[in-house]
Amino acid sequence: MGNSIRRYGVWLGVALVGAICWGVLALSRGETVNAGWLLFAAIASYAIAYRFYARFIQKKVLETDDSRATPAERLNNGRDFEPMDRRVLFGHHFAAIAGAGPLVGPVLAAQMGFLPGTVWIIVGVILAGGVQDMTTLFFSMRRDGKTLGQMAREEIGPVGGVAALVAVLSIMVILLAVLALVVVLALAESPWGSFSIAMTLPIALLMGVYLRFLRPGRVLEVSIIGVGLLFLAIIGGGWIAESSPYADFWTFSPNQIVFALIAYGFIASVLPVWVLLAPRDYLSTFMKIGTILLLAVGIMFTLPAIQMPRATEFAATGAGPVFAGPLFPFVFITIACGALSGFHALVASGTTPKLIQKESQIRLIGYGAMLMESFVAVMAIIAATTLDPGVYFAMNAPASVLGDTVQSASQAVNGFGFTVTPDVLQATANNVGEESIIGRTGGAPTLAVGMSQIFSGIIGGPALQAFWYHFAIMFEALFILTTVDAGTRVGRFMIQDMIGNVYRPFANPSWLPGNLVASALIVGAWGYFLYAGVNDPLGGINQLFPLFGIANQLLAAVALTVGTTILIKMGKLRYAWVTALPLAWDVAVTLTASWMKIFSPEPTLGFFAQRSAAQEALANGELYGTAQSADDVRQIITNSTVDGILSILFALLIIIVIVDAVRVWFGLIRGGQQPEMSEAPWEESRLDSEGEPVDEREPVGAGS
Amino acid sequence: MNPLREIWEYLKEISGENAYDKYLVVHSATHPGRRPMNRNEFYRWRQNEKYNNPGSRCP
Repeated sequence: MGNSIRRYGVWLGVALVGAICWGVLALSRGETVNAGWLLFAAIASYAIAYRFYARFIQKKVLETDDSRATPAERLNNGRDFEPMDRRVLFGHHFAAIAGAGPLVGPVLAAQMGFLPGTVWIIVGVILAGGVQDMTTLFFSMRRDGKTLGQMAREEIGPVGGVAALVAVLSIMVILLAVLALVVVLALAESPWGSFSIAMTLPIALLMGVYLRFLRPGRVLEVSIIGVGLLFLAIIGGGWIAESSPYADFWTFSPNQIVFALIAYGFIASVLPVWVLLAPRDYLSTFMKIGTILLLAVGIMFTLPAIQMPRATEFAATGAGPVFAGPLFPFVFITIACGALSGFHALVASGTTPKLIQKESQIRLIGYGAMLMESFVAVMAIIAATTLDPGVYFAMNAPASVLGDTVQSASQAVNGFGFTVTPDVLQATANNVGEESIIGRTGGAPTLAVGMSQIFSGIIGGPALQAFWYHFAIMFEALFILTTVDAGTRVGRFMIQDMIGNVYRPFANPSWLPGNLVASALIVGAWGYFLYAGVNDPLGGINQLFPLFGIANQLLAAVALTVGTTILIKMGKLRYAWVTALPLAWDVAVTLTASWMKIFSPEPTLGFFAQRSAAQEALANGELYGTAQSADDVRQIITNSTVDGILSILFALLIIIVIVDAVRVWFGLIRGGQQPEMSEAPWEESRLDSEGEPVDEREPVGAGS
Repeated sequence: MNPLREIWEYLKEISGENAYDKYLVVHSATHPGRRPMNRNEFYRWRQNEKYNNPGSRCP
């Protein structure tokens, strides 16, 4: 009795802390709010959600059963199926789901103020993202690790399966283009950044040879060597940029970087993985975990004040310079990773479920790792909003709006309703060791400036700010490029597999002509969007990022639809709202956004409105928007046509999946259809909760 | 066990450095008499498996 009072007392305390923090965030009348309130509002909310909501889903909705052997135990082969310690598996799963997404999205969404993004990140992860990851993980585990596509085909039907496949491939292409775009924008005209990133290639080659021939499988020691060399590369970049005669040699225009990336993506996709991809992956994983920890410590120590207002006027007007469109639905599209990300459903089906020891661990691994990613997104929004809002807008508005000089940028920012002096802009650039920070869109540079302020607050002071800025750029670029490598490769395999259905030799992944053709196709596809994005006269990231968000949320809709279908089949209709509610929200957001992108008469928002406005301008011999020439206008016409067609495709896919699933649901509810589940049969587990075999021990009392 | 050692063990576990030793144990238990892959073959197999599988990571 006393025990339970104490236990609930603790949770009451946590709830109180959370409520106070949220109250301060929403209501405080001060000039600025301290980031600490935001941090603790998030942590308290996560703790309560994990303890109560996730537990409810685990116990009541999914009814995990620890006496049931998981596929890792039944099919253990020491390779892909293998019971893995839950703490280790948590690390693996987290490293696989946390990429650049949770860092970029929140930075862009900060144009609407810090509160809308924060609320969505925290509420979204609790009610939608964590639920999606955890249920998908569970359902895939019950099916011996089937992929999302396979589950969609088996539980909904062939249409759902095909839609999932098309969604995955198109997301891949848009995603790779957007991520590569972020890298281009971060490295263009920056000799320091370009040099450090280029150095990761020889470092990776060296690591690859070491792992393959000198000390096979010694991942840890080679990673330590690699990280050491990486730091030298950052220091070397500083020397190149500031005191060497090679600064010009290492200064590249955006288009030079685009073609370098396309060539690199093709080569990396064709080469065996051990040469570049695998060693870079180790590097970027260690850098990622290390930097995230450092950022958490940095924010806790420095507790910076948030400079951005709670909500800017762009939240209501939808006329923000970073991306167009009103708060609903575009905040929920822009911030995907960290709140709800369909891509996680691919990780949560397939790889991770084959490694789980005990069914109940899906709460820690599925829901827990997603909470952690959400926390990363919260830190990203803190880093972006502790910047001076004037600096934020001077970095994130399209370069064509800001002009080339600090004076013109300062004026443009005044036009947005914020103030920043030309001196402050120049001083910020000098502090981080760059020529200019004007129009450095894409999110990565903004985050890097924010992070460099936080890091230099704990280590090194202003003297090291430039180092920390390039450290942050390096860290982002490194793991984005690893995603580009790996994503290109995955896309290549998908294309080879698809063509292989028609023309046999293609199905063999190591057939060289097939490899070359498929690699060229996938690199060509994302390379096209990358090139178009970099050269978009209206600013590429604000055009492409919504498409990426829509595509990602489309995949989430597939995952949640599969989840809802399986819940109904399990006879859990009364709990089907657990996945159906986030699904309804996700569909509302995605379809509203698609509707606006397709039908809005506002040329800044609707792709087709933009297209006809640009066509009209061209016909009248005028320029359109921030275009500098008739060629620019033609470029705008092409881009808006392609983007508009893609929006239509995504919207259609989502409608097809939902309609097909609803047909199945009604069949099941009316009882006309027999629920057919492809769950693997029950088998008793012989492992205890620590993963040790129970045979040698005394039998435990039955019926526990 | 001291905490540094524990962190080291965790890192070895999470980086897959000791995956081969674990594979050998399982292999000798499940396929006695059949030749296991050697260290080099095992890591090659593992790498291919990881990167040929869609959805091994998220943006």
